[in-house]
Amino acid sequence: MTTEDRAHAAARRMRLFERYALLVVWALLILGFSIALPNSFPRWGNFSILFASYAPAALLALAIIIPLTSGDYDLSVGAVMTLSSCLIAVLNAWMGLPILLCLVLAVLAGVAVGLFHAFFIVYVRIPSLVVTLGSTSLISGIVQWFTKSSTIGGIDNALIMSVVGGRLFGVPYAFYYAFAAVVVLWYIFDYTPLGRRLLFVGRGREVARLNGIAVERVRVGALVASSVVASCAGILYAGVLGSADPYSGLNYLLPAFAAAFLGSTTIMPGRFNPWGAMVAVYFLGTGITGLTMLGIPLWVTNVFNGGALILAVTISQLTRGREAPDIG
Amino acid sequence: MTKLRMTTLLVAATVAAAPFAAQAQDGMARAKEKLATYTEKPEFVAPGDPFDIKQCAEGRKMLSIPNNSGNPFLKGIIDRMKAVGDKIGLEVVEWENQGQPSQWVQGFDYAIRDEFDVINLISGISPDTVEPQIKAANDAGIKVMTSHFYDPSFPRNPLLSSSLPIGFNEIGRILANWVTVNTEGKGRVALIVSREVPPTIPLVDGFTEELAANCPDCEIAQEINVGVAEWGTKIQPSVQSALQADPDIDVVIPIYDSMSQFVVPALRLTGKLGQVKVPTFNGTPFVLDFIQQGAVSMDIGESLDWIAYATVDGHMRDLCGLPVPEKLNVPFYIFDESNAKDAGTPAQFDTGYGDAYVSGFAKLWGLE
Repeated sequence: MTTEDRAHAAARRMRLFERYALLVVWALLILGFSIALPNSFPRWGNFSILFASYAPAALLALAIIIPLTSGDYDLSVGAVMTLSSCLIAVLNAWMGLPILLCLVLAVLAGVAVGLFHAFFIVYVRIPSLVVTLGSTSLISGIVQWFTKSSTIGGIDNALIMSVVGGRLFGVPYAFYYAFAAVVVLWYIFDYTPLGRRLLFVGRGREVARLNGIAVERVRVGALVASSVVASCAGILYAGVLGSADPYSGLNYLLPAFAAAFLGSTTIMPGRFNPWGAMVAVYFLGTGITGLTMLGIPLWVTNVFNGGALILAVTISQLTRGREAPDIG
Repeated sequence: MTKLRMTTLLVAATVAAAPFAAQAQDGMARAKEKLATYTEKPEFVAPGDPFDIKQCAEGRKMLSIPNNSGNPFLKGIIDRMKAVGDKIGLEVVEWENQGQPSQWVQGFDYAIRDEFDVINLISGISPDTVEPQIKAANDAGIKVMTSHFYDPSFPRNPLLSSSLPIGFNEIGRILANWVTVNTEGKGRVALIVSREVPPTIPLVDGFTEELAANCPDCEIAQEINVGVAEWGTKIQPSVQSALQADPDIDVVIPIYDSMSQFVVPALRLTGKLGQVKVPTFNGTPFVLDFIQQGAVSMDIGESLDWIAYATVDGHMRDLCGLPVPEKLNVPFYIFDESNAKDAGTPAQFDTGYGDAYVSGFAKLWGLE
């Protein structure tokens, strides 16, 4: 074996380590909490609840990675999730519309927001950061207006039962909806020409254009898909809570972005990928759950989230020999 | 010999335990007695001597600055204060804001420019954060007052003309007595708090002191401190974890009832909905709906309209040089499954408290 072969083998091992490092750390975290809390943490019931309660956050992380892959930011996903859940609550609980119709209208609202973003980002050529930041504020204001800034309970029990009422292997359905979304996105990202086009557009718009890719159409599609997935996260959020309010969903934006970036260091390192995003959401959720069970003050969970993100991205970067980052 | 020793030990143990049992029984009796006050429909108690409020308020202007105009609780109080103002000739104006201190500062400038008589800081704006503005208002001859903010035990900012505090400590004591009575003196409690909100401290103090006094066998198993901005992301997983780690917890107390939006799904997911008791405070309509649905056990409420009347009463007494009540003259009332329907379906902010205050204040103010 030549020196060059050995170097290649070492690089391959490093890449393999990088690919599964987060999964290993997650397993170690579970092991650590299981040793510290042998009677309560390592129980299926605990994990089933964890899987279900973080399902909206997982969907939101997926919503973020679609436009990130094609090179656009969507900072409005938290606001769109809130818009969707509040629309369902107002239309169903206050106005008495059938729940299925409310869900359809919530998804259509997502389509409308996505097209609104696409118009300003793709055709007027305003940076996505600016447009989605502005629309976050715009949507928040509108939601506060139509909810009269109040929390709305009394959403149809059928939605609650379809999200957290029914269980498969002890895990509420909410988790399987998020899981199904991951599978669909993974298939699109990795096995379809559309997924490749998304990636090419994200890596270099001009090169993609010269190769005959309809860059604008791909970006519009990604922005609309992002808002639609965020709307679906809103449906799950309304189902998990059984109520909706105009503020709480907005706070999911930063954890979802953290999960998207953390997820880009695993499974397919250097690329925003659905499995990575999902693993990251549940890795962070496991940390919060374990720390809370230990009775540790909640500010520690923020330190854990932020620390884990910076550490993971740093290790990923160092493993790659400080090559130019693919992201950011 | 062994038998004799055993008997001696048993007698000693019984004698030693007797005072504790008696203490628990006394505590239960005290708790029941105190709680009874808050289960009766509130009666009007005059906060001071009668006075001619119209003569005092006619042609005067009051600017009400809420902590955040997006808060329906505060918005509701101010809207009702406007209505009360219309009856007595007082012009009540709201300074609409989104909770930003720079907007509160603008409110003070506006009040000085437009020569208001009173600035009312309602429920949340700490006078300490706007001290230079209060000084400027005082220099311009405007009286600055707070309402529904301090606990009576808090020293108020000396720049304020007067303050109408609300008994947060009393609320903590009501919650403790409710736990004592409804768990037969054996409650194991998870307490959800937001320590950055000033009223939390006297409320939690009241709760822990009263629980220790009346329920020696009750225990606060966990206190979960969640910042207001993180209620949506942290309360649900924290409560789930607490219930998983300690399945004997039988009471979860979100001290502000809007927190229960995230407590109820945690109970649903852990399969404890209906088993774990959830008492809380604030009387927010959607939580009263939760009581009707069996998801929340009890909510301590206050009538917004009553708050509006009592605030106008206290501030007008100050404006006209009369003694100001020591605290906001608004009674607390317990909603539970027996009377939650009185609040309406869906529940409303002002329904279910009776209307004793309307004629009470009218008579006190010489309007009848």
